[in-house]
Amino acid sequence: MTPLTRFALPLGITVAAIGCGGSEMPAKQLAETQSAVRAASEVGADDNPRAALHLKMARDQISKAQALSREGENEAAKQLLQQAEADAELALALTRVEQADRNQKNAENQLESLSQ
Amino acid sequence: MPKTNWSRCLNDGARTEDDVETIYTMVKYPARALMVVALCATAWACGSSAPTAQLVDARRAYERAQLSPASQYTPDDLLTARQALDRAEAAHEEDPGSSTEAHLAYLADRKAQMAEARGEIAQAKAVEAKARAEYQSRLERTAESSQQALSKTRSELDSAKKAQSSAEAGRLEAEKRAAAALQSLSQVATVKEEQRGMVITLAGNVLFPSGGDVLSPIAQQSLDQVAKALEEQSPETPIVIEGHTDSRGSTATNDSLSQRRAQAVANYLATRGIDASRIQAVGRGENQPIASNDTTDGRASNRRVEIIVGGQSSAQGATFGAAAKPTPGGAAAKSMPQQPPPAPVPAY
Repeated sequence: MTPLTRFALPLGITVAAIGCGGSEMPAKQLAETQSAVRAASEVGADDNPRAALHLKMARDQISKAQALSREGENEAAKQLLQQAEADAELALALTRVEQADRNQKNAENQLESLSQ
Repeated sequence: MPKTNWSRCLNDGARTEDDVETIYTMVKYPARALMVVALCATAWACGSSAPTAQLVDARRAYERAQLSPASQYTPDDLLTARQALDRAEAAHEEDPGSSTEAHLAYLADRKAQMAEARGEIAQAKAVEAKARAEYQSRLERTAESSQQALSKTRSELDSAKKAQSSAEAGRLEAEKRAAAALQSLSQVATVKEEQRGMVITLAGNVLFPSGGDVLSPIAQQSLDQVAKALEEQSPETPIVIEGHTDSRGSTATNDSLSQRRAQAVANYLATRGIDASRIQAVGRGENQPIASNDTTDGRASNRRVEIIVGGQSSAQGATFGAAAKPTPGGAAAKSMPQQPPPAPVPAY
Protein backbone atom coordinates (compact mmCIF):
# COMPACT_ATOMS: atom_id res chain seq x y z
CA MET A 1 0.00 0.00 0.00
CA THR A 2 1.33 3.37 -0.90
CA PRO A 3 1.22 6.12 1.70
CA LEU A 4 -1.45 7.84 -0.31
CA THR A 5 -3.83 4.91 -0.33
CA ARG A 6 -3.05 4.24 3.30
CA PHE A 7 -4.27 7.76 4.06
CA ALA A 8 -7.04 7.97 1.51
CA LEU A 9 -8.78 4.70 2.25
CA PRO A 10 -9.84 5.36 5.86
CA LEU A 11 -10.72 8.93 4.88
CA GLY A 12 -12.93 7.68 2.12
CA ILE A 13 -14.66 5.25 4.40
CA THR A 14 -15.21 7.96 7.00
CA VAL A 15 -16.61 10.36 4.45
CA ALA A 16 -18.90 7.64 3.15
CA ALA A 17 -20.08 6.84 6.65
CA ILE A 18 -20.79 10.47 7.46
CA GLY A 19 -22.48 10.91 4.14
CA CYS A 20 -24.73 7.90 4.63
CA GLY A 21 -25.51 8.89 8.26
CA GLY A 22 -26.33 12.42 7.25
CA SER A 23 -28.74 11.42 4.61
CA GLU A 24 -30.53 8.63 6.39
CA MET A 25 -30.08 9.32 10.07
CA PRO A 26 -29.54 12.54 12.06
CA ALA A 27 -26.21 11.19 13.31
CA LYS A 28 -25.13 14.26 15.24
CA GLN A 29 -28.44 14.45 17.04
CA LEU A 30 -28.30 10.74 17.78
CA ALA A 31 -24.81 11.12 19.27
CA GLU A 32 -25.94 14.02 21.43
CA THR A 33 -28.95 12.12 22.67
CA GLN A 34 -26.91 9.04 23.44
CA SER A 35 -24.41 11.18 25.30
CA ALA A 36 -27.22 12.71 27.37
CA VAL A 37 -28.38 9.19 28.27
CA ARG A 38 -24.84 8.23 29.25
CA ALA A 39 -24.47 11.34 31.40
CA ALA A 40 -27.68 10.56 33.27
CA SER A 41 -26.63 6.95 33.71
CA GLU A 42 -23.23 7.98 35.05
CA VAL A 43 -24.70 10.11 37.85
CA GLY A 44 -26.78 7.12 38.93
CA ALA A 45 -30.13 7.77 37.25
CA ASP A 46 -30.73 4.00 37.01
CA ASP A 47 -30.89 3.83 40.82
CA ASN A 48 -33.53 6.52 41.18
CA PRO A 49 -37.00 5.17 40.32
CA ARG A 50 -38.35 8.34 38.73
CA ALA A 51 -35.13 9.07 36.86
CA ALA A 52 -34.84 5.45 35.76
CA LEU A 53 -38.31 5.65 34.22
CA HIS A 54 -37.33 8.63 32.07
CA LEU A 55 -34.03 7.05 31.21
CA LYS A 56 -35.88 3.99 29.93
CA MET A 57 -38.20 6.23 27.90
CA ALA A 58 -35.14 7.90 26.37
CA ARG A 59 -33.55 4.58 25.46
CA ASP A 60 -36.78 3.20 23.99
CA GLN A 61 -37.27 6.31 21.89
CA ILE A 62 -33.71 6.14 20.60
CA SER A 63 -34.30 2.55 19.42
CA LYS A 64 -37.55 3.57 17.83
CA ALA A 65 -35.89 6.53 16.14
CA GLN A 66 -33.18 4.29 14.74
CA ALA A 67 -35.83 1.95 13.36
CA LEU A 68 -37.79 4.83 11.83
CA SER A 69 -34.60 6.20 10.34
CA ARG A 70 -33.89 2.90 8.68
CA GLU A 71 -37.32 3.12 7.12
CA GLY A 72 -36.51 6.63 5.91
CA GLU A 73 -38.84 8.34 8.38
CA ASN A 74 -36.23 10.91 9.29
CA GLU A 75 -38.60 13.64 10.43
CA ALA A 76 -40.34 11.33 12.89
CA ALA A 77 -36.96 9.98 13.98
CA LYS A 78 -35.74 13.50 14.70
CA GLN A 79 -38.76 14.25 16.86
CA LEU A 80 -38.28 11.04 18.81
CA LEU A 81 -34.63 11.85 19.40
CA GLN A 82 -35.61 15.29 20.69
CA GLN A 83 -38.03 13.69 23.09
CA ALA A 84 -35.43 11.12 24.12
CA GLU A 85 -32.92 13.87 24.85
CA ALA A 86 -35.49 15.78 26.93
CA ASP A 87 -36.14 12.60 28.93
CA ALA A 88 -32.44 11.93 29.43
CA GLU A 89 -31.86 15.47 30.66
CA LEU A 90 -34.82 15.19 32.99
CA ALA A 91 -33.45 11.89 34.34
CA LEU A 92 -30.17 13.64 35.11
CA ALA A 93 -31.91 16.53 36.87
CA LEU A 94 -34.07 14.19 38.94
CA THR A 95 -30.99 12.28 40.08
CA ARG A 96 -29.32 15.50 41.09
CA VAL A 97 -32.39 16.48 43.12
CA GLU A 98 -31.94 13.35 45.20
CA GLN A 99 -28.26 14.11 45.72
CA ALA A 100 -28.90 17.75 46.61
CA ASP A 101 -31.53 16.67 49.14
CA ARG A 102 -29.07 14.25 50.68
CA ASN A 103 -26.37 16.92 50.94
CA GLN A 104 -28.85 19.31 52.49
CA LYS A 105 -29.84 16.74 55.07
CA ASN A 106 -26.18 16.04 55.89
CA ALA A 107 -25.49 19.72 56.43
CA GLU A 108 -28.55 20.07 58.63
CA ASN A 109 -27.56 17.03 60.68
CA GLN A 110 -24.09 18.42 61.12
CA LEU A 111 -25.53 21.69 62.36
CA GLU A 112 -27.94 19.78 64.60
CA SER A 113 -25.02 17.92 66.16
CA LEU A 114 -23.63 21.20 67.48
CA SER A 115 -26.81 22.01 69.37
CA GLN A 116 -26.63 18.79 71.36
CA MET B 1 -85.87 9.70 2.46
CA PRO B 2 -82.18 9.42 2.16
CA LYS B 3 -80.31 8.27 5.14
CA THR B 4 -78.72 11.04 7.21
CA ASN B 5 -75.43 10.00 8.68
CA TRP B 6 -75.83 11.53 12.17
CA SER B 7 -73.42 9.38 13.93
CA ARG B 8 -70.58 9.98 11.52
CA CYS B 9 -71.18 13.70 11.63
CA LEU B 10 -71.23 13.73 15.41
CA ASN B 11 -68.27 11.44 15.73
CA ASP B 12 -65.63 13.01 13.64
CA GLY B 13 -67.13 15.37 11.14
CA ALA B 14 -65.47 13.47 8.34
CA ARG B 15 -66.64 14.31 4.86
CA THR B 16 -67.27 11.47 2.42
CA GLU B 17 -69.39 10.91 -0.64
CA ASP B 18 -72.33 10.67 1.78
CA ASP B 19 -71.93 14.40 2.21
CA VAL B 20 -73.48 14.87 -1.20
CA GLU B 21 -76.54 13.11 0.01
CA THR B 22 -76.49 15.15 3.14
CA ILE B 23 -76.42 18.36 1.18
CA TYR B 24 -79.28 17.13 -0.88
CA THR B 25 -81.20 16.42 2.28
CA MET B 26 -80.42 19.87 3.58
CA VAL B 27 -81.83 21.45 0.47
CA LYS B 28 -84.94 19.36 0.62
CA TYR B 29 -85.60 19.78 4.31
CA PRO B 30 -84.17 23.19 5.28
CA ALA B 31 -85.19 23.11 8.92
CA ARG B 32 -83.79 19.69 9.52
CA ALA B 33 -80.68 20.67 7.59
CA LEU B 34 -80.10 23.70 9.74
CA MET B 35 -80.25 21.60 12.85
CA VAL B 36 -77.85 19.08 11.44
CA VAL B 37 -75.42 21.79 10.44
CA ALA B 38 -75.54 23.32 13.91
CA LEU B 39 -75.00 19.98 15.60
CA CYS B 40 -72.16 19.10 13.30
CA ALA B 41 -70.49 22.45 13.78
CA THR B 42 -70.68 22.17 17.54
CA ALA B 43 -69.39 18.64 17.53
CA TRP B 44 -66.58 19.47 15.19
CA ALA B 45 -65.56 22.48 17.20
CA CYS B 46 -65.65 20.72 20.56
CA GLY B 47 -64.35 17.30 19.69
CA SER B 48 -61.50 18.26 17.45
CA SER B 49 -60.27 21.17 19.57
CA ALA B 50 -59.67 18.89 22.55
CA PRO B 51 -55.97 18.99 23.43
CA THR B 52 -53.78 15.96 23.14
CA ALA B 53 -52.98 14.02 26.29
CA GLN B 54 -49.43 15.38 26.01
CA LEU B 55 -50.67 18.96 26.06
CA VAL B 56 -52.85 18.26 29.08
CA ASP B 57 -49.81 16.80 30.86
CA ALA B 58 -47.62 19.69 29.79
CA ARG B 59 -50.07 22.28 31.11
CA ARG B 60 -50.36 20.46 34.41
CA ALA B 61 -46.58 20.07 34.70
CA TYR B 62 -46.08 23.75 34.04
CA GLU B 63 -48.63 24.71 36.68
CA ARG B 64 -46.81 22.53 39.18
CA ALA B 65 -43.45 24.02 38.26
CA GLN B 66 -44.85 27.52 38.70
CA LEU B 67 -45.87 26.70 42.28
CA SER B 68 -42.52 25.03 43.00
CA PRO B 69 -39.28 26.62 44.26
CA ALA B 70 -38.35 27.08 40.59
CA SER B 71 -40.17 30.42 40.51
CA GLN B 72 -37.76 31.69 43.15
CA TYR B 73 -34.58 29.76 42.42
CA THR B 74 -34.57 28.98 38.68
CA PRO B 75 -36.80 31.49 36.92
CA ASP B 76 -34.81 31.05 33.69
CA ASP B 77 -35.66 27.36 33.49
CA LEU B 78 -39.26 28.21 34.22
CA LEU B 79 -39.23 30.70 31.36
CA THR B 80 -37.80 28.08 29.00
CA ALA B 81 -40.61 25.75 30.03
CA ARG B 82 -43.15 28.50 29.46
CA GLN B 83 -41.80 29.10 25.96
CA ALA B 84 -41.92 25.38 25.17
CA LEU B 85 -45.51 25.27 26.38
CA ASP B 86 -46.34 28.34 24.26
CA ARG B 87 -45.00 26.54 21.18
CA ALA B 88 -47.15 23.53 21.96
CA GLU B 89 -50.19 25.76 22.48
CA ALA B 90 -49.48 27.50 19.18
CA ALA B 91 -49.32 24.16 17.42
CA HIS B 92 -52.58 23.26 19.07
CA GLU B 93 -54.19 26.48 17.81
CA GLU B 94 -52.93 25.85 14.35
CA ASP B 95 -53.71 22.20 14.05
CA PRO B 96 -55.48 20.76 17.09
CA GLY B 97 -54.64 17.19 17.95
CA SER B 98 -51.79 17.06 15.48
CA SER B 99 -48.70 15.01 16.02
CA THR B 100 -46.69 18.26 16.05
CA GLU B 101 -48.79 19.43 18.99
CA ALA B 102 -48.23 16.14 20.77
CA HIS B 103 -44.50 16.27 20.10
CA LEU B 104 -44.09 19.88 21.23
CA ALA B 105 -46.29 19.25 24.28
CA TYR B 106 -44.14 16.23 25.16
CA LEU B 107 -41.05 18.44 25.09
CA ALA B 108 -42.85 21.16 27.07
CA ASP B 109 -43.87 18.63 29.71
CA ARG B 110 -40.26 17.50 30.19
CA LYS B 111 -39.02 21.10 30.28
CA ALA B 112 -41.55 21.93 32.97
CA GLN B 113 -40.54 18.93 35.07
CA MET B 114 -36.90 19.84 34.54
CA ALA B 115 -37.53 23.42 35.72
CA GLU B 116 -39.17 22.04 38.84
CA ALA B 117 -36.29 19.63 39.46
CA ARG B 118 -33.67 22.32 38.99
CA GLY B 119 -35.57 24.64 41.31
CA GLU B 120 -35.53 21.93 43.95
CA ILE B 121 -31.81 21.40 43.44
CA ALA B 122 -31.11 25.10 43.77
CA GLN B 123 -33.25 25.34 46.88
CA ALA B 124 -31.59 22.34 48.50
CA LYS B 125 -28.18 23.81 47.72
CA ALA B 126 -29.17 27.17 49.19
CA VAL B 127 -30.45 25.55 52.37
CA GLU B 128 -27.33 23.39 52.55
CA ALA B 129 -25.04 26.39 52.11
CA LYS B 130 -26.89 28.24 54.84
CA ALA B 131 -26.60 25.30 57.21
CA ARG B 132 -22.89 24.91 56.47
CA ALA B 133 -22.27 28.62 56.98
CA GLU B 134 -24.18 28.55 60.24
CA TYR B 135 -22.20 25.49 61.31
CA GLN B 136 -18.95 27.26 60.50
CA SER B 137 -19.88 30.42 62.29
CA ARG B 138 -21.02 28.50 65.35
CA LEU B 139 -17.71 26.66 65.39
CA GLU B 140 -15.92 29.98 65.18
CA ARG B 141 -18.09 31.47 67.88
CA THR B 142 -17.36 28.49 70.12
CA ALA B 143 -13.65 28.83 69.49
CA GLU B 144 -13.86 32.54 70.10
CA SER B 145 -15.69 32.18 73.39
CA SER B 146 -13.19 29.55 74.55
CA GLN B 147 -10.46 31.97 73.61
CA GLN B 148 -12.19 34.72 75.53
CA ALA B 149 -12.66 32.48 78.56
CA LEU B 150 -9.00 31.56 78.37
CA SER B 151 -7.78 35.12 78.18
CA LYS B 152 -10.19 36.12 80.94
CA THR B 153 -8.74 33.41 83.17
CA ARG B 154 -5.27 34.55 82.22
CA SER B 155 -5.95 38.16 83.03
CA GLU B 156 -7.58 37.18 86.32
CA LEU B 157 -4.50 35.18 87.17
CA ASP B 158 -2.33 38.12 86.18
CA SER B 159 -4.25 40.57 88.31
CA ALA B 160 -4.24 38.13 91.22
CA LYS B 161 -0.47 37.92 90.91
CA LYS B 162 -0.25 41.67 90.66
CA ALA B 163 -2.46 42.11 93.72
CA GLN B 164 -0.30 39.64 95.58
CA SER B 165 2.91 41.36 94.66
CA SER B 166 1.45 44.77 95.38
CA ALA B 167 0.29 43.51 98.77
CA GLU B 168 3.80 42.26 99.31
CA ALA B 169 5.16 45.61 98.18
CA GLY B 170 2.70 47.37 100.48
CA ARG B 171 3.82 45.31 103.42
CA LEU B 172 7.48 46.03 102.69
CA GLU B 173 6.61 49.69 102.25
CA ALA B 174 4.82 49.77 105.63
CA GLU B 175 7.79 48.13 107.32
CA LYS B 176 10.07 50.66 105.71
CA ARG B 177 7.87 53.54 106.82
CA ALA B 178 7.73 52.18 110.38
CA ALA B 179 11.51 51.86 110.46
CA ALA B 180 11.92 55.34 109.00
CA ALA B 181 9.49 56.77 111.53
CA LEU B 182 11.45 55.21 114.37
CA GLN B 183 14.64 56.49 112.84
CA SER B 184 13.35 60.07 112.71
CA LEU B 185 12.14 59.66 116.26
CA SER B 186 15.68 59.10 117.42
CA GLN B 187 16.32 62.82 116.89
CA VAL B 188 14.00 63.74 119.75
CA ALA B 189 14.13 60.58 121.80
CA THR B 190 16.15 57.46 122.33
CA VAL B 191 14.68 54.28 120.98
CA LYS B 192 15.74 50.97 122.38
CA GLU B 193 14.55 47.46 121.83
CA GLU B 194 14.34 45.89 125.22
CA GLN B 195 12.90 42.72 126.70
CA ARG B 196 9.78 44.60 127.86
CA GLY B 197 9.21 45.96 124.32
CA MET B 198 10.34 48.86 122.27
CA VAL B 199 11.12 51.70 124.64
CA ILE B 200 10.99 55.31 123.52
CA THR B 201 12.53 57.56 126.10
CA LEU B 202 11.83 61.28 126.09
CA ALA B 203 13.89 63.59 128.24
CA GLY B 204 11.74 65.20 130.95
CA ASN B 205 13.30 68.67 130.80
CA VAL B 206 12.35 68.87 127.14
CA LEU B 207 8.75 67.82 127.79
CA PHE B 208 7.77 69.71 130.95
CA PRO B 209 8.77 72.80 132.84
CA SER B 210 10.34 72.06 136.19
CA GLY B 211 7.72 70.67 138.57
CA GLY B 212 4.92 71.09 136.00
CA ASP B 213 2.80 68.67 134.03
CA VAL B 214 1.86 70.83 131.02
CA LEU B 215 3.50 69.88 127.76
CA SER B 216 5.71 72.53 126.20
CA PRO B 217 5.25 73.40 122.51
CA ILE B 218 8.54 71.71 121.72
CA ALA B 219 7.36 68.64 123.63
CA GLN B 220 4.21 68.59 121.51
CA GLN B 221 6.27 68.61 118.33
CA SER B 222 8.35 65.72 119.62
CA LEU B 223 5.22 63.82 120.60
CA ASP B 224 3.72 64.44 117.14
CA GLN B 225 6.65 62.51 115.77
CA VAL B 226 6.14 59.81 118.35
CA ALA B 227 2.47 59.62 117.42
CA LYS B 228 3.41 59.26 113.77
CA ALA B 229 5.83 56.47 114.58
CA LEU B 230 3.21 54.73 116.74
CA GLU B 231 0.65 54.99 113.92
CA GLU B 232 2.94 52.95 111.75
CA GLN B 233 2.88 50.11 114.24
CA SER B 234 0.15 47.56 114.40
CA PRO B 235 -2.99 49.25 115.81
CA GLU B 236 -3.51 46.52 118.41
CA THR B 237 -0.15 46.93 120.00
CA PRO B 238 -0.58 48.09 123.60
CA ILE B 239 1.27 51.17 124.73
CA VAL B 240 2.41 51.85 128.30
CA ILE B 241 3.50 55.34 129.24
CA GLU B 242 5.62 55.64 132.34
CA GLY B 243 6.53 58.84 134.11
CA HIS B 244 9.80 59.02 136.08
CA THR B 245 11.33 61.69 138.31
CA ASP B 246 14.65 62.28 140.03
CA SER B 247 14.96 61.87 143.77
CA ARG B 248 14.58 65.50 144.76
CA GLY B 249 11.37 66.35 146.64
CA SER B 250 9.07 64.05 148.53
CA THR B 251 8.25 60.62 147.26
CA ALA B 252 4.55 61.37 147.27
CA THR B 253 5.05 64.52 145.23
CA ASN B 254 7.28 62.67 142.80
CA ASP B 255 4.81 59.79 142.45
CA SER B 256 1.97 62.18 141.83
CA LEU B 257 3.96 64.33 139.42
CA SER B 258 5.20 61.33 137.41
CA GLN B 259 1.64 60.01 137.18
CA ARG B 260 0.27 63.36 135.95
CA ARG B 261 3.09 63.72 133.43
CA ALA B 262 2.51 60.23 132.07
CA GLN B 263 -1.19 60.98 131.81
CA ALA B 264 -0.47 64.29 130.04
CA VAL B 265 1.59 62.44 127.42
CA ALA B 266 -1.10 59.77 127.07
CA ASN B 267 -3.79 62.42 126.61
CA TYR B 268 -1.79 64.23 124.02
CA LEU B 269 -1.10 61.07 122.04
CA ALA B 270 -4.81 60.29 122.17
CA THR B 271 -5.51 63.63 120.48
CA ARG B 272 -3.01 62.62 117.77
CA GLY B 273 -4.96 59.64 116.61
CA ILE B 274 -3.66 56.94 118.93
CA ASP B 275 -6.54 54.90 120.34
CA ALA B 276 -6.79 55.82 124.03
CA SER B 277 -7.82 52.30 124.97
CA ARG B 278 -4.38 51.09 123.86
CA ILE B 279 -2.63 53.47 126.21
CA GLN B 280 -1.96 52.96 129.87
CA ALA B 281 -0.37 55.81 131.85
CA VAL B 282 1.70 54.89 134.91
CA GLY B 283 3.62 57.07 137.43
CA ARG B 284 6.82 55.50 138.68
CA GLY B 285 8.05 58.44 140.75
CA GLU B 286 11.71 58.29 141.65
CA ASN B 287 11.75 54.51 142.02
CA GLN B 288 13.45 53.57 138.78
CA PRO B 289 16.40 55.86 138.13
CA ILE B 290 18.57 55.10 135.13
CA ALA B 291 21.43 57.32 136.31
CA SER B 292 22.89 58.69 139.55
CA ASN B 293 20.77 61.30 141.29
CA ASP B 294 23.95 62.84 142.66
CA THR B 295 24.84 64.73 139.50
CA THR B 296 22.93 67.29 137.49
CA ASP B 297 23.26 65.23 134.32
CA GLY B 298 22.22 62.07 136.13
CA ARG B 299 19.13 63.76 137.60
CA ALA B 300 18.27 65.14 134.13
CA SER B 301 18.43 61.62 132.72
CA ASN B 302 16.20 60.29 135.46
CA ARG B 303 13.53 62.90 134.74
CA ARG B 304 11.96 61.20 131.77
CA VAL B 305 8.92 59.69 130.16
CA GLU B 306 9.15 56.21 128.68
CA ILE B 307 6.77 54.98 126.05
CA ILE B 308 6.83 51.18 125.92
CA VAL B 309 5.33 49.70 122.79
CA GLY B 310 4.21 46.10 122.54
CA GLY B 311 5.43 45.03 125.92
CA GLN B 312 4.74 45.39 129.59
CA SER B 313 5.51 48.13 132.10
CA SER B 314 8.93 48.25 133.64
CA ALA B 315 7.92 47.22 137.17
CA GLN B 316 10.64 44.63 137.21
CA GLY B 317 12.85 46.61 134.83
CA ALA B 318 16.47 47.25 135.57
CA THR B 319 17.01 50.00 138.13
CA PHE B 320 20.05 52.04 138.77
CA GLY B 321 21.57 51.95 142.24
CA ALA B 322 19.74 51.12 145.43
CA ALA B 323 17.55 54.17 145.43
CA ALA B 324 14.29 52.28 145.49
CA LYS B 325 12.16 53.55 148.29
CA PRO B 326 9.09 51.96 149.84
CA THR B 327 6.09 53.08 147.86
CA PRO B 328 3.30 54.68 149.82
CA GLY B 329 -0.31 53.86 149.16
CA GLY B 330 -2.96 56.36 148.10
CA ALA B 331 -2.61 58.39 144.94
CA ALA B 332 0.27 56.32 143.60
CA ALA B 333 -1.37 52.95 144.23
CA LYS B 334 -1.71 52.48 140.52
CA SER B 335 2.03 52.42 140.15
CA MET B 336 2.62 49.62 142.61
CA PRO B 337 5.59 47.81 141.14
CA GLN B 338 4.39 44.56 142.61
CA GLN B 339 1.20 44.67 140.56
CA PRO B 340 2.00 45.39 136.96
CA PRO B 341 -0.89 45.46 134.53
CA PRO B 342 -1.43 42.16 132.79
CA ALA B 343 0.75 42.13 129.73
CA PRO B 344 -1.29 41.76 126.55
CA VAL B 345 0.01 39.39 123.95
CA PRO B 346 2.14 41.37 121.51
CA ALA B 347 0.81 41.58 117.99
CA TYR B 348 4.14 40.57 116.59
